[in-house]
Amino acid sequence: MGVTCVSQMPVAEGKSVQQTVEILTRKLELLGAEKQGTFCVDCETYHTAASTMGSQGQAAKLMYVMHNSEYPLSCFALFENGPCLIADANFDILMVKLKGFFQNAKGNKIESRGTRYQYCDFLVKVGTVTMGPSARGISVEVEYCPCVVATDCWNLVMEFMQSFMGSHAPGIPSVFSNKHDSIYSPADTIVQYMELFNKIRKQQQVPVAGIR
Amino acid sequence: ELERLSNLVGKPSENHPLHNSGLLSLDPVQDKTPLYSQLLQAYKWSNKLQYHTSLASGLLNQQSLKRSANQMGVSAKRRPKAQPTTLVLPPHYIDDVINRIDRMFPEMSIHLSRPNGTSAMLLVTLGKVLKVIVVMRSLFIDRTIVKGFHENVYTEDGKLDIWSKSNYQVFQKVTDHATTALLHYQLPQMPDVVVRSFMTWLRSYMKLFQAPCQRCGKFLQDGLPPTWRDFRTLEAFHDTCRQ
Repeated sequence: MGVTCVSQMPVAEGKSVQQTVEILTRKLELLGAEKQGTFCVDCETYHTAASTMGSQGQAAKLMYVMHNSEYPLSCFALFENGPCLIADANFDILMVKLKGFFQNAKGNKIESRGTRYQYCDFLVKVGTVTMGPSARGISVEVEYCPCVVATDCWNLVMEFMQSFMGSHAPGIPSVFSNKHDSIYSPADTIVQYMELFNKIRKQQQVPVAGIR
Repeated sequence: ELERLSNLVGKPSENHPLHNSGLLSLDPVQDKTPLYSQLLQAYKWSNKLQYHTSLASGLLNQQSLKRSANQMGVSAKRRPKAQPTTLVLPPHYIDDVINRIDRMFPEMSIHLSRPNGTSAMLLVTLGKVLKVIVVMRSLFIDRTIVKGFHENVYTEDGKLDIWSKSNYQVFQKVTDHATTALLHYQLPQMPDVVVRSFMTWLRSYMKLFQAPCQRCGKFLQDGLPPTWRDFRTLEAFHDTCRQ
């Protein structure tokens, strides 16, 4: 477990999602990265049920239940801006029992799937973000495994991301600046994925012509 | 008649300069078996070998004479003095030296243990960057292994794992450099100074992931940060940028 930065790669002009992913992965392979199987991060949305809401008429809160193939035995449950709970994988079954309090927003499932690459001490995961049947965007996750303090190695990670993403390399993620000198945890990665998925959900759907 | 014939055959062989082996050259089947030419080559080769060994032994004799003469003169005087002071030090003295170094660097914590007899083993934790296992013999550092801050440094039975290397290429590289530093910092008369300068050098890895290379100005080269620290200036360089 190291410091991870999750970002979105915009779809290249006149190219489909698939083609942009291929361009990215080819660049990585030219750099010397080795393919190491696949990865998947998924996210399901739950609403707080109306019956549990207080009389003050607070807005329904959204809760996200997420899985990361990097941590196959864990399940992450988190509120936006709220705490992040790390539980065993059978937490999903518990959620079914909590139907009275949290209702699954059907059709809101969003996930990112793709290939996992290793380059030296870096792990790079380029994934296609899909919601239902349509591809919505591209996620790029870069993990620098030897380091545990996010702000220590940010410049180094940034330089690496620029080497294959060019000008699309992202700015410093907000979770990094909140961490100061504390140790990076897998929950920080999941929070970044949640933010990315929320951003993609709000974006206009990619024109259908661009998808194969 | 057979005797007469055998006498005729026997005589020429004795006259031949190469004695019995010379008969091989007369062998009509020589074209098929290159025995004679091989024999000649082997003879030349062994001749040369003898010549070279005589030269070499001449040279070596000169050298060894000098060295043994040196040893004769010095070892008798110095050895009994120098070795007891540096190799056999009381454990509490070593504890004291290590404790002082520990207090000198606030960002570095040193944990001393003696799992196998009197030899001390140190577990040095440098900030949140790395951990170093240092195996000591008296106040001499025998071996160091650098690992990541979150890597396991213990074996299954709870002892310090002094054999396995780090999973990360960065720390494998830093381990190599640390071993180089061990050989660089040598001062047999003052072993505590050696340990202190080694730790000072090690402390410069505090900014392993933060310092760009002083020559090329970049962070990464072949996927690795600047892993080399200059022994005097403690500046960061990539392994290939340091020359």
